[in-house]
Amino acid sequence: MFLPKYYEFCCRVKTIAGHKALESIAGELDTLGARNPIIITDKGVSGAGLIKIVRTALGKKVKIAAIEDNVPPDSDVSVVNRVAKLYKSKKCDSIIAVGGGSVMDTAKAVNILVSLGGDDLMSYTGAGKVTEKLNPLVVIPTTSGTGSEMTLVAVIADHARKMKMAFTSYFLLPDLAVLDSRMTKTLPPFLTSSTAMDALTHACEAYTCMGKNPLSDAYAIPAIQLISQNVVRAVKKPGDMKARLALANGSALAGVAFSNSMVAIVHNIGHAIGGVCNVPHGVAMGILLPYGLEYNYHKSAHYTADLLYPLAGEEEFINTPLNKRPEKAVAYIRQLNEDLHAATGGRHSRYLKEVVDRDGNQMVPREKFDDIIRTAKGDPAQFYNPEDVDENDYRVMLECAYEGIPLDRKKIKKGKRTSKIRIP
Amino acid sequence: MNIDRYPEIPPKDKFIKKAYVAIMLWIVGRAMQAASRVDPVVKEEFSHLRDNFLLRLWVAPNGPSMFVGKDKNGKVKYMGWNPRGKKTTLDMQIKGIEQAVLMFTFQESTAVATSNDRLIVSGDLDDACAIVRILDIVEIFLLPKIITKLAVKRYPKWSQMSPLRKYVGRVLVYIRAFTV
Repeated sequence: MFLPKYYEFCCRVKTIAGHKALESIAGELDTLGARNPIIITDKGVSGAGLIKIVRTALGKKVKIAAIEDNVPPDSDVSVVNRVAKLYKSKKCDSIIAVGGGSVMDTAKAVNILVSLGGDDLMSYTGAGKVTEKLNPLVVIPTTSGTGSEMTLVAVIADHARKMKMAFTSYFLLPDLAVLDSRMTKTLPPFLTSSTAMDALTHACEAYTCMGKNPLSDAYAIPAIQLISQNVVRAVKKPGDMKARLALANGSALAGVAFSNSMVAIVHNIGHAIGGVCNVPHGVAMGILLPYGLEYNYHKSAHYTADLLYPLAGEEEFINTPLNKRPEKAVAYIRQLNEDLHAATGGRHSRYLKEVVDRDGNQMVPREKFDDIIRTAKGDPAQFYNPEDVDENDYRVMLECAYEGIPLDRKKIKKGKRTSKIRIP
Repeated sequence: MNIDRYPEIPPKDKFIKKAYVAIMLWIVGRAMQAASRVDPVVKEEFSHLRDNFLLRLWVAPNGPSMFVGKDKNGKVKYMGWNPRGKKTTLDMQIKGIEQAVLMFTFQESTAVATSNDRLIVSGDLDDACAIVRILDIVEIFLLPKIITKLAVKRYPKWSQMSPLRKYVGRVLVYIRAFTV
């Protein structure tokens, strides 16, 4: 068990999970003193009829003051200002966010403006700038991936200034997270698979990165177990409510884990690929996760070895000698990608070359590697990676992930080995 | 009960630790300025930062601190310790003097300190990443290998930093940091 000399951990989001969890929201809103909530969501969620389910579950006692269902996938500061204006004009006093990462981040940012006043979101960017309790915020995730319902972070783009603003504060933690299996039932198989791989990456990186601690580990391991055991089931049978609920729980657990330990090289490169090539975050995570673990073998193979237990189960773990466990864990994740590729009819990408847009165009051509590397160098997730990453290392990883071949560790630069398990 | 009879007892100030950290911050600030003149990689990193770039590296709650930024001519300059009248674009705050001592006595590397939540960074994250890379290079110039290895994740091999660049850079950084 790894015990750092010092660490910080915080998780104070009240969580309600179950097949009929939504029905508890009305009582919880009452406890929070919320009378006029606004619902913030996106077109996809409202089009799938999920808002109708939420409203029915809320009952007649809860009066919804306004519904904003036009949050785009890459939310912007102008959207936040527009929703904040609606909130004030309808005299709302709380927020119910129903959606994925973008909706939840937008709701958090709106809550900053409407609770603290002003219209300049920029003045609250950075760590710890929000120092007061905000208005009640209830989040209902409709994907099982981002874990945003459990995190103290919100990221909002400012397209006019071509920058992304990050807000970090314990006051951004929602007051209530509701995990209900009905909310992810309509999620298409390829989105279920990629968002689940995002959550799996959160948990695996939380367990192997430099910011890991005993409490984040305690959340990461069951998260991996729930996701690993249920993702293929949920993709093959979207109506399997048990699997849906398990994935929602796995994602939330992974959210708590990475929120308190941070993430590492997989997210570092994944953010850059997303920024440069607009590849959906979960798709990049699924492809890059095995490469990130392989890259860090000489630093954290002993932690990667531990991952085999929640990934593949007790029997596989016991039957595998210690020095083979890291490679087996990575092989298991690669096989999971293969299974998901087959289960989604080829829509789940296994390597970068395979990622295409709606028109069938390749999204990550080799010519963009330079831009990806430049962007990755400006991403802070690299600081939590056990090994210092340089341009050459980024390139080797991208080349191998592009072709779908295991990482050529002879080509990467390695610092001093700190892992007890020796892998060449 | 007369409350005035029980005056508040302020905690003892840690003068020696504060003085040590203040000196280290001064040296690092001066060395960053010097390295921006003599090392091509540091020069390149600074060239990508905005024109009004100003870093504040400080220890909460009330110092010591140091400022490094670009002047009107775009030259990188150590700008002292006093925050008055300065508008920082990147704020790197070490949470307390004990944490700062751990970092500046190299008992804890910058990477481990970051992972252990010792630092709070406000500002553009691109700039913060560049500054961490610059700090790593400055440490390589300032310190012998045996100590630098405690401060950075991976000490550069000859193929990554030639001995010529390292030793000539070290001499020039020391001369410029303490004289110019």
